[in-house]
Amino acid sequence: MLALIYFIVLAVIAVGSAICVLLAKHPLYGALSLILSMLSMAGIYGLLGSPFMGVVQIMVYAGAIVMLLTFVIMVLNAGKDNNTPRFDKVSLFVVPAVVVLCGLVGFVLVRAPLAFDATTIRGSVKFTSETLFNMAQNGPGYFVLFEVLGLLLLSSMAAAVLMAKKRLGSEVSEKEGK
Amino acid sequence: MELQAMYIQILALVLFTIGLVVAIARRNIFFVLMGVELALNAVNLSMVGFAKTLPAELSAAGQIVPLFTIAVAAAEACVGLALVILIFRNRESVDSDSFTNMKG
Repeated sequence: MLALIYFIVLAVIAVGSAICVLLAKHPLYGALSLILSMLSMAGIYGLLGSPFMGVVQIMVYAGAIVMLLTFVIMVLNAGKDNNTPRFDKVSLFVVPAVVVLCGLVGFVLVRAPLAFDATTIRGSVKFTSETLFNMAQNGPGYFVLFEVLGLLLLSSMAAAVLMAKKRLGSEVSEKEGK
Repeated sequence: MELQAMYIQILALVLFTIGLVVAIARRNIFFVLMGVELALNAVNLSMVGFAKTLPAELSAAGQIVPLFTIAVAAAEACVGLALVILIFRNRESVDSDSFTNMKG
């Protein structure tokens, strides 16, 4: 019962701040609402018994990704761009289509039998890390994917630096560089 | 009344829908990126919710697959924001309709 009350409170905060993202005028306010939505989702992960996912969510999403987004919004000063309308005529067709799709998927979902497994081991840090770094011959082999992810993040970082560098320096600093 | 597994899936569905609407209907490019992040988050929530209905030895996948999703989302945000910086320097606009360089 208590879990349900906590879930309802966190779900209302998550959905409400997601709607704030949809309706915000300035991108900065949208980013702040997005952080609130992600923090409440981290709370739901904790409620479900996955503290590992909750902490990763707070550190990576709220701490890194949205932080980067906020930083770029502030650097570009793009909020002053008043020529961009919030919605255009295509949005009139997009919104009902997506809502109808959501209704259909929800109808199928509600008819599916789904119940919590009482014997499920909850996602503690110890259990998750033991599975992730299980290097046994007949293990799940997640550690290979983990290494590949490191290379992916490194290459995307290098690509981002190379792309953003092109025009970021002013003419003076480029001349000094030469 | 106890917490049902279905409630989490319905919450994830609602958040995914809002994220999709933000990504498709808004015209500011920052909101498009934020909508994609919101939709990815909803899928993560759905996977963690499903993992709790699986037997014990399979439930670790529900913690590890979202971890990979989050890392890929971080890489996507990194490259996407670099692209936005690059195009904004050329066009002085954050309207996604002006980002049609690759249209041919």
